Amino acid sequence: MRYSWLTGLAALLMLSPVHAQQSAPAHVGIPVLVPITGFLSLEGTSQRNGAVLAIRNAPPNLRVQYDVVDTSVSPEGAVNALERALDRGSVSAVVASMLGTQMLAMLPIALERKVPLITVSGTAQITEMGNPYVFRFFPGDDVTKVAHVRYAVEELGLRRLALVYQTTAYGQSGRRHIVENLAKHGLSPVFEEALEVQVRDMLPVLSKAMAANPDGILIHLHSGPTALFIRQAAAMGVGIPIIAGSAMHQPPTAALLEPEELRGVCAEANASPVSGGTPEMERFLQQYREMFSVEPDGFALGQYDGTMMVLEAVSKGARTAAEVARALADMRYEGIAMTYKSDGRGNMAHSAVIMCFDGRTRVPKVVKRYDNITGALTP
Amino acid sequence: MSRRALISGLMPFAGLACLVAWPLVFNSPYDLRVFTLVGIYSILVLGYQFIFGHAGALALTQGAFFGIAAYVTGILGAKFGWSFPVTFPLSIVAPVLVAVVVAIPVLRLESHYFALATLGIAQVALLIAIKWESVTGGANGLAGVPGIGAFGLVLPRGYPTLAFVWGIAGVCALVAWWLMRSLRGRAFQLMRTSELAAMSIGLDTARLRFLAFLLSAAFAGIAGALHAHTLRVVSPEVLEFHVMVTCLTMAVIGGRTRVVGAFLGAFLLVQLPEWFRFLEHYYLIAYGGALLAMIIVAPDGLVGLLDRIGARLGLRPRHTLPAPVPLPSAAPEDVTAEVPLLSVNGLTKRFGGVAALEDVSFQVDRGEIVGLIGPNGSGKTTLVNIVTGLTPADAGEVRLMGQDITHDPAFRIVQRGVARTFQLIELVDDMTCLENVAVARLTKLGAGFGRSRSPTEVDAPFGLAKRQAAHLLERLGMLEAAFEPAGNLAQGLRRRLEIARALALEPRLLLLDEPAAGLNEIEQQDLAIRLKGLRTSGLALVVIEHNVPFLMAIADRLVCLNAGRVIAVGKPSDVRADPNVVAAYFGAQPADGLP
Repeated sequence: MRYSWLTGLAALLMLSPVHAQQSAPAHVGIPVLVPITGFLSLEGTSQRNGAVLAIRNAPPNLRVQYDVVDTSVSPEGAVNALERALDRGSVSAVVASMLGTQMLAMLPIALERKVPLITVSGTAQITEMGNPYVFRFFPGDDVTKVAHVRYAVEELGLRRLALVYQTTAYGQSGRRHIVENLAKHGLSPVFEEALEVQVRDMLPVLSKAMAANPDGILIHLHSGPTALFIRQAAAMGVGIPIIAGSAMHQPPTAALLEPEELRGVCAEANASPVSGGTPEMERFLQQYREMFSVEPDGFALGQYDGTMMVLEAVSKGARTAAEVARALADMRYEGIAMTYKSDGRGNMAHSAVIMCFDGRTRVPKVVKRYDNITGALTP
Repeated sequence: MSRRALISGLMPFAGLACLVAWPLVFNSPYDLRVFTLVGIYSILVLGYQFIFGHAGALALTQGAFFGIAAYVTGILGAKFGWSFPVTFPLSIVAPVLVAVVVAIPVLRLESHYFALATLGIAQVALLIAIKWESVTGGANGLAGVPGIGAFGLVLPRGYPTLAFVWGIAGVCALVAWWLMRSLRGRAFQLMRTSELAAMSIGLDTARLRFLAFLLSAAFAGIAGALHAHTLRVVSPEVLEFHVMVTCLTMAVIGGRTRVVGAFLGAFLLVQLPEWFRFLEHYYLIAYGGALLAMIIVAPDGLVGLLDRIGARLGLRPRHTLPAPVPLPSAAPEDVTAEVPLLSVNGLTKRFGGVAALEDVSFQVDRGEIVGLIGPNGSGKTTLVNIVTGLTPADAGEVRLMGQDITHDPAFRIVQRGVARTFQLIELVDDMTCLENVAVARLTKLGAGFGRSRSPTEVDAPFGLAKRQAAHLLERLGMLEAAFEPAGNLAQGLRRRLEIARALALEPRLLLLDEPAAGLNEIEQQDLAIRLKGLRTSGLALVVIEHNVPFLMAIADRLVCLNAGRVIAVGKPSDVRADPNVVAAYFGAQPADGLP
């Protein structure tokens, strides 16, 4: 017994340096620079939560350092946050704001400092500038609006669609892609109007839209305006399908409405985490709820998947930020929401889903999935 | 030189040393970027000080001017590939042109209407930026704005860009300092404190405000262009209201009128959020709390706080009294002496249904002192306001040396030789007595750094104006109070100071509104002697006064108004005994007339 104890100790001593050498955790710096104040605080907080959860679930051979810094909503705030983060030590990748104007301001610095930006921004322009250091893990409007329009036209058979969108970059980009996709079906909106984010009374725009005699309404609004629009449409009894943009898939948006008001409303998004569906999704949902005491949305999941992909790249040997960027550009990653692969410009997400509310609960059901819309996943 | 004077003299150099040392100590790319932004915002605030601080107008256009310049730089640089030497001047010209167009309808508006109108302009600019997608890039804005450079060379980020931006900030600071240290700077101070007083010394306040508006737009243009080059992106955020709020807060926190205040405000407001970033969601609370504390501790801005600390430490600047210089002798008049100096004919003024003046006529001759009496509400002050152009007449005419001045603006009437004082004294309380008087020499001497013979002279006319002001203070027996702030003076001295300021205009006619109000008997006697002394130089005086014994001692004639009508004109003893006058004051005739 005594010998066996000594033998065991000797074996441990002999093996420990080797073991230490094999399992010394690699240090990874992933600053999280997101808008957690201002009009995008809801989405920015989802981004933060998704990234932080991924960091907590990092492979055991990695030691991840991160700071969460609020970029607010100005480009200047984002650039300052990025410079500050890059000055504070080794950075493998940056979880970057989903606000397009902030991303556009950060891109030149990312290029100069050779650091990949991991984002869920929907602004098309950020991946159209030839910058190899931007990676978008949320389907852009060139993906989601295809699903948005196809579902309305092909599945619901709608032909006379009214379109209401926001005056922001988000709204303008969405409107452009919706109109383009309608044109592919030989259609054009029977009514169009852009709304300021501050507009609270939706009755005027609803009345004008209904006066055009549409058979469906496509909306592409931010979270608050989406809820207001749907509430007032329900009160008005418009009686035609409403297919909303990704803001409607967010649980906080649904929480602003009664289930009955949501009856028949559909929305596009990258995924609907609250709807569950797969064991991985259920596990993500459970962890997210435990950690943050709120419901996750597609932005959180997209950012989670993106951050996990970065961690996997580092885990597989990418050490510098430039190596991480190269790995992200080349890898194919099976995330929880979808399969991610760069289309050569940093667009990683190529799938979208349509979810609908049944009027009994605020949890939507995924009714249609559109995969590999861009064809980037095709070998 | 005393130790305190030495410390006081070294303070600006210590501040400059801190300024230079900061980027050397905090020298990471992030620190240099933030410090570059401090320089840019300092320029923006220096510009805003012209309209908000010096002119006292709450313009909410500075953010819009900043954004317009940023967009001009962005559009010309990113879309057309034009370089800095071309885009930079155009980015300054664009907001100035907008300011010219905007100023015509907007600058006439009063206080909050002015603020609202200027806010509306900012909103229009923002809407254009969002909606005109083909040019402005819409809500996404424009990316790829080139850096500062020329002939294919671009300034690298870090120290070169910082040095360039701060170099321009230094030039802007020098220009602002030069402009506002001049006599015109004091004129702005007077206008901000009391527009009435400014008009009463012949200042064209609309023109001054216009000048301030254009300067603010030009400085905002410089800042906006540099911001676009530094950030390399232009988006509608630069036109949003928060830029204006930030600029306003910087001006208030730093100090509204002092160059150093612009730098302090910009430094604090740019750095503070960065210092609190680690607080995540809560940094805005800390930021707001810090600003609130700052406003409580330093209501006059950081510059005011530093001044207070300096005063407590005895670091006040020492003044040297300038040698008094008399005003130049009056030029010979080009009209015959038969024409009365002032002729008021059939003057009528109504406020709604109330007749303030009804067919009022009287004359004033050269060297004459005319007392204007009448019960409260009889129309005395309205009459003086019409004569001096502050209130338009409904009918009748006012002639000065035969020339019709009825419809002349107030500043033009002053330039023709009519000066006045006010019933409620209108002085700049935080300006010294010497400067309160010197500022009135602006229209006679002109002003501007262009007239300086050297950078240290600042403004040659200002020096002469101060020497002439010293002469006038001496003449009114208050030279010893030359460097005392006007707000510290007793009532009697304040009255005299206002008269000294009026005399600085070299008037032919001086209208005094209740000069003896609030004075004790000795002060009244002293004032009476000094007023009588003034007419020896041919100056005519019209004195509104309730104090009839005071008037009896100095007036050659009295004009009595009642209910807007002239009820008596003549020698003081005759008017005093006039039954109509007595009835107007008492409702019935006492045995011995007016007291």
